[in-house]
Amino acid sequence: MIKKLLVALPLTLALAAPSFAQDFPERAMRIVHGFGAGGNADTVSRIMAEAISADLGEPVVVESRPGAGGTVASGYVASEAPDGYTMQLLVGGHAVAAALYNELPYDSVNDFTFLSTLGQFPFFVAARAGEYESISALIEAARAEPGSIVIGHSGVGSTQHLTGELLGLQTGAEFIHVPYKGGAAASTALMGGEVNVIIDTGTVISGQAEAGVYDILAVTSAERWPDAPDVPTLNETVAPGFDVVSWTGLGAPAGVPDDVVEILSTSIGKALAQPDVQEKIAALGAAPGGSTSEELKALIERQIAVWSEVIEAAGIERR
Amino acid sequence: MIDQFLLGLGVVLQPHILMYAFIGVFIGQLIGVLPGIGAITAISLLLPVTFYLDATTSMIMLAGIYYGSQYGGSIASILLNLPGTPSSVVTCLEGYPLSKSNRGGLALFVAALSSFAGGMVGVAILVLAAIPMTIIALRFGAPEYAMLVILGLLAASLIGTGSQIRSFAMVVLGIALGLVGADQTTGYYRFVAIPELADGISLVSLAMGLFGVSEIIRNAAVRSTPGRVMSIRMRDVIPTRAEARTLGLPILRGSSIGSFFGALPGTGAAIASFMAYAIEKRVSRTPEKFGTGHLPGLAGPESANNAAAQTGFIPTLTLGIPGDAVMALIIGALILNGIIPGPRLMVDQPELFWGVIASFFVGNIILLLINIPLIRLWVLLLRIPYQKLYPVIIVMICVGVYSHRTSVTDVVLTLAFGILGYVMKNYRFEPAPVLLGFVLGPLLEDNFRRAMLIYRGDFTVFVTRPISAILVTCSVVLVVFAIRSSIKARRKTARVLS
Amino acid sequence: MQGVDQVQPSIAKRASSGGVLLLIGLIILVVAWNYPVGKLTQMGPGFIPRVVGFVICALAAAIIAIDLSAPSHARGEKMHWRGLIFVSAAILIFASVVDRVGLVPSMFLAVAVSMLADFDARPLNILVYATLATLGGWLLFVVALELPIPAFWR
Repeated sequence: MIKKLLVALPLTLALAAPSFAQDFPERAMRIVHGFGAGGNADTVSRIMAEAISADLGEPVVVESRPGAGGTVASGYVASEAPDGYTMQLLVGGHAVAAALYNELPYDSVNDFTFLSTLGQFPFFVAARAGEYESISALIEAARAEPGSIVIGHSGVGSTQHLTGELLGLQTGAEFIHVPYKGGAAASTALMGGEVNVIIDTGTVISGQAEAGVYDILAVTSAERWPDAPDVPTLNETVAPGFDVVSWTGLGAPAGVPDDVVEILSTSIGKALAQPDVQEKIAALGAAPGGSTSEELKALIERQIAVWSEVIEAAGIERR
Repeated sequence: MIDQFLLGLGVVLQPHILMYAFIGVFIGQLIGVLPGIGAITAISLLLPVTFYLDATTSMIMLAGIYYGSQYGGSIASILLNLPGTPSSVVTCLEGYPLSKSNRGGLALFVAALSSFAGGMVGVAILVLAAIPMTIIALRFGAPEYAMLVILGLLAASLIGTGSQIRSFAMVVLGIALGLVGADQTTGYYRFVAIPELADGISLVSLAMGLFGVSEIIRNAAVRSTPGRVMSIRMRDVIPTRAEARTLGLPILRGSSIGSFFGALPGTGAAIASFMAYAIEKRVSRTPEKFGTGHLPGLAGPESANNAAAQTGFIPTLTLGIPGDAVMALIIGALILNGIIPGPRLMVDQPELFWGVIASFFVGNIILLLINIPLIRLWVLLLRIPYQKLYPVIIVMICVGVYSHRTSVTDVVLTLAFGILGYVMKNYRFEPAPVLLGFVLGPLLEDNFRRAMLIYRGDFTVFVTRPISAILVTCSVVLVVFAIRSSIKARRKTARVLS
Repeated sequence: MQGVDQVQPSIAKRASSGGVLLLIGLIILVVAWNYPVGKLTQMGPGFIPRVVGFVICALAAAIIAIDLSAPSHARGEKMHWRGLIFVSAAILIFASVVDRVGLVPSMFLAVAVSMLADFDARPLNILVYATLATLGGWLLFVVALELPIPAFWR
């Protein structure tokens, strides 16, 4: 109510969603996610909720069930009714969790109906300005004196952490990986001089990079990233074949009827085609883009395999 | 700097921006009163609204919610013993006893006044010293945080109202509770009996349980407590001249402590208010009055946490680095508005930067103006007989805790901590040190282990890094003083007894 | 000074407060015993839990010693069983149904059950008051704040 009143205040609001009769949906839907209210996952959920709700004419509630790297939410969603009314915002962590946790109460692939990706984003390798000439110089330094380069990351078992471990494994450089509570804390440590390098998303790094505080040494995607065409990839420099791209997507419990999947996928596709939705997703550092259900499933299966290897090779404690 | 501040004032005093500043602080304050529903819920609720506003206005409104909810949190703590944040735990210590002895109005007035003063000092620091404070904050690495926490724990072991050893035991119990969940350094699961515990015990559950629920258990079935007849005449709400005189120094000390700690990302308000309380108790000539509704013990921490709420924006504004989850939300709103927060914000967006800072100035004045008249309303609330009040409080706690992470486990844990708090009190253990240990314990462990990891097990970092060395010295001095004064006290009692 | 002839609580009672703490310390030690400990410069996840466990046990022992030697005031206050039972019941009922039946019915049940703690509550009073409180809660949490919790389950 308060929200409605406030939204109505600036008269900029586009009005009245068209609602037309169909079998699905006939009541409110919800998007569950496993992260804190207000975080990026929450914001993306809300963006999608708004767009889907406007399209399908029923409200979409966003529900945050944080815990254990999103696995609490996944466990919850996997056991909900597969009627299309419960969706889940999935992130790259879904694949990491499958590799990292010993006993998940669900099967990360077979217990879900995957709907579509929403966007993909790479990680950037950043250091304080002027400290390393290039990514090759960094790797050289690390090789010359093993253990002299400290990488700050956003938490044990985060995609950022595993990406750093993978970089070490592929280049043969020995890094010290230091966990912080989230990317912001790791970035503070980089600025304060406590760590030498961080690997994180554009949202964490680009502000400092634009201000000339950080140098972005490399990007983790296989191809150069369109938003940062000057940044070399790890693939083309120190680690041929290196390709880490994280993603967000929407899923649902396994067994959602095909016609309902069809309705939802179409609606997600329409949402992703809207310029303002694209803009908001891009603002969060991701390249907006949908996919088919199969593509998302294949992506997740591929990443589970990669992360399992990294976790094994780096000797990270499984939970 | 004053010029730029005036530029900012010019931005805020535009009617529509002023209106959103008002909406922000007002909603923040109202939501802050609701137990368990804090700034995060409020901000994420209003986040979609910011899609329709420009960046400056959004940020002014969201920031208003943040520090407005600090004011609101004190109200529930004072009147009902319901702390929603670690800093309002300290407010409970003196505020609730005052309320119980029918001086809740006075407590609210002093809290509002100290909050205002603290907030203003914080804003002044923000205007005059944002950059130097940023530089100091960046010097705080893992060794410094570890030593800071040790200093905090030492200072605050003096916090309990009962015996020293008992309150120390409760600090350690708090540390133990803080261990639950995935270990930050290795990811190893500790005491995770059910998956819901993997992220640890929720602070809201712990605080609501130990303070709120235990108090309800104690009072619910007490026959016929009449509604407290509290005076709502303004005369009885304002402190007497003698009382007012005791408040100046605590507010000054609290504001300085709060301003300093607030600027350190991630620690801020909680440490500040515990430290402020410990220091007031330490310098007081009547330390025995603490815990019974002693005004300086309320004023110091209140001004500290509100000063911290303002200087907490320093890293957010100067570096684009959010100091806590709430700041992260606010930054998120900026990003959605197409502004990338970073060190260039101040240069590229001076109207936003200074507008937001000026809005704190205006916002604090608004808060004071709406708070003073509201005191009478809050006090009227206490005229409702407790038998009618407590079922509603229970429901508010349940909904608040549940909404926090949509977790049934959290609700059950709140009850468990309520029972724990009740039993503890019967055994003369105080709940406040538990919260302290719970908040500081993980900080200590994480930073100590991080320091060992980065400096490869070299202990000398704690004394070779200058800030860390200063903190170590402070701790040592504190311990020496404590030992000396306890020896003195023992001699004294020995003399009295003999 | 305290009258020497005042009846002292039994030894078991006086030791109980430290005793409970000792039990907590022991539980921590037992649960955490297998966690990797590491060493001071390279702590494993089990280091601090073990230290904390030992410290709690030591403090508990000291508290027992003090309580046993000090005269009198180790007396616990009487239990508020009625409040304890009904407050617990109310919260547990809320927790067990809120995921399934939604916010409004859960609030109603929680208010109604918790009111049973009051000696003077009559059934009609409870019904009316619980309805009013639920209505207020609905207005606050569902209508005004739009908390993302379903008001009624579907």
